[in-house]
Amino acid sequence: MNSLIESKDLNHNEGPSTTADDEVIRLENVSVRYRVPQERIGTFKEYAIRWVQGKVKHRSFLALQDINLSILKGEVFGLVGENGAGKSTLLKLIARVLRPSSGRITVKGSVAPLLEIGAGFHPELTGRENVFLNGAMLGFTQEEMEEKFPRIVDFAELGDFIEAPLRTYSSGMWARLGFAVATETQPEILIVDEILSVGDESFQHKSLERIQSFKADGATILLVSHSMNMIEQMCQRAAWLSHGNLIAYGSTHAVVEQYLGQVREVESNRLSEESTEKPTHRWGDRRLEIRQVKIFNAKSQEQNTFYTGETLILRIDYFAHEPIPSPTIGVAIHRQDGVHITGPNTTFAGMDLGVVEGPGTVIYTIPYLALLEGLYSFTVATVNQEDTIIYDYHDRLYAFRVNNHGENVSERYGLMTMRGEWKRI
Amino acid sequence: MAKPLFYDSARRGTPPIEEIRGAFKYRHLIFQLVRRDILTRYKRSFLGVAWTLLNPLGMTLVLTVAFSQIFRFQTPYGYAAYVLSGFLAWTFFSQTTTAAMVNLVWGGGLLNRIYIPRSSFALAAIGTGIVNMALATIPLLFVMIITEVPINISLIFLPVPVLLLAGFALGMGLLISALAVYFPDVVEMYQIILTAWFYLTPIIYPEEIIPEAFRIWVTTLNPMYHLVKLFRMPVYYGQFPTWQELSICILISVTMLVIGWWIFSNKSDEFSYRI
Repeated sequence: MNSLIESKDLNHNEGPSTTADDEVIRLENVSVRYRVPQERIGTFKEYAIRWVQGKVKHRSFLALQDINLSILKGEVFGLVGENGAGKSTLLKLIARVLRPSSGRITVKGSVAPLLEIGAGFHPELTGRENVFLNGAMLGFTQEEMEEKFPRIVDFAELGDFIEAPLRTYSSGMWARLGFAVATETQPEILIVDEILSVGDESFQHKSLERIQSFKADGATILLVSHSMNMIEQMCQRAAWLSHGNLIAYGSTHAVVEQYLGQVREVESNRLSEESTEKPTHRWGDRRLEIRQVKIFNAKSQEQNTFYTGETLILRIDYFAHEPIPSPTIGVAIHRQDGVHITGPNTTFAGMDLGVVEGPGTVIYTIPYLALLEGLYSFTVATVNQEDTIIYDYHDRLYAFRVNNHGENVSERYGLMTMRGEWKRI
Repeated sequence: MAKPLFYDSARRGTPPIEEIRGAFKYRHLIFQLVRRDILTRYKRSFLGVAWTLLNPLGMTLVLTVAFSQIFRFQTPYGYAAYVLSGFLAWTFFSQTTTAAMVNLVWGGGLLNRIYIPRSSFALAAIGTGIVNMALATIPLLFVMIITEVPINISLIFLPVPVLLLAGFALGMGLLISALAVYFPDVVEMYQIILTAWFYLTPIIYPEEIIPEAFRIWVTTLNPMYHLVKLFRMPVYYGQFPTWQELSICILISVTMLVIGWWIFSNKSDEFSYRI
């Protein structure tokens, strides 16, 4: 197999170089329409009565709408989207559990899902018996499983526990066994749905490694996760689903960025809605009014998702309703949990604005955003020089998000990077 | 093992035929499910699989004391063997149909994740029933010997009524499974129906005691009457059935199976978002 070469090509991330050969999953204009009763009719009697009365109303609901997508051999493909966006429906289509209402889907090769803890296992059966049962569900015979069995036990690190009933297992052991069975049966397509969050850290690490080696063998992996970190770490390409529509599709970085942008927008809309409702987020006599605050990147594009190490520019438009001598314009940065990170202002910076009147603008530039992954917000305020009169105070109204794994920063834990360097002497 | 699999949603065969193919392909799974059912059923009890044998014996004892002593039913041979033979046929039917339905409704989470033929659960339920039935013939023979019911060569015919009973139960199981997916309380309702059906079938009483006015309902129009009778033929009555008796049962069994299979497989595409 030339799978190595293929996956190498994919690492260059040039989008789908679609030839029919390396396409393992292909969706053409796929829609899924669920027909659900408008009200929940639980009993047969009720149904019969309503049916006679002609009152059984069905509401149809589009779980997926006109999706065109192809997933290539040997890639790790990410699926992102809020809950109920249609990700599970898409997985069901690929797993052959559901048929599209219209359109066409083709899948080349065997598909194995990583079952969530418990599904497909029976607590009264021993680990060994469960392995064979699970194997049969994936379409394998007793003999085929016999052959894989030692490697499964080995990977799951169960030792003698394999002969004990599953009810005596810890949840980590369940997860390990499930993962071992699903991956050891070597499906051509593996579906991983938010599963790697279980188990301890060393097992997670092992699983990720296994997925990587899987990929190297030419298998295709579909990863669904709410962790953008994991998606970016693992996937070459990704798709973003929202309300059953395919919003973005292509290189992971671009898709994740768009997705996070949207998440932020929704969140800041919600925040600003809340702030208009709750005057507690804004106060002051408004003589020096803050008219508009915007966050930009180095290229002066509006943005509220950043990577650690990027340049962030905050632009503050104000309007002085009367001449105000030497006011102070300041900002504060808080983390979502309320940690106050910093509070720079014009006066501290030794900047005298003089007498301001009418409209004006200041910008505050952060050349290197040292914050690590998390949600943050800006507070923007105008006060007099002595900080005794508050003109306008916007408390934590301007949110932004920071993601790790930007250009050069790979630190993960804590609040910020010190930009320190390691050296062995 | 590189079997080139290719799935194309646009190519859809006739559902009942595809379901048969699927079930055949996944016969290992059905075998494993039967194994699971049997292993787990008795795993935590002290006497284990012996219960399969003791259960019918206990039941027979209770029914015999209650009905032959108190109600004084007249049966050609011992009442104990009469009631046990009918009871085994009935238990097979009621247990397998209930299991088919319950397994699909409660174990259906799997159907949302992974492709397995939807009929696997019902087929496994039948398989489990047949194993239990085979084991239960031991206490039946035991009771027959004790109560001096003659054991005849006709016993070799027993697999035929079991098979016909299995066909009927499978059809019924699939039909109510499909219903239960849409209306969960069918599960409860079915238990009531089963109880009524049990008493309306000559199992614990001889058919001769049925008043003439009801007889057509309890016998001719009751499929279980024919199947239970066919089951009793080779064991209890010690004779081969007539061609007429046999063909009625074949007709009942095949018709139910076709109806059940047809409805189930045509509805099964919708299961994954109903369960």
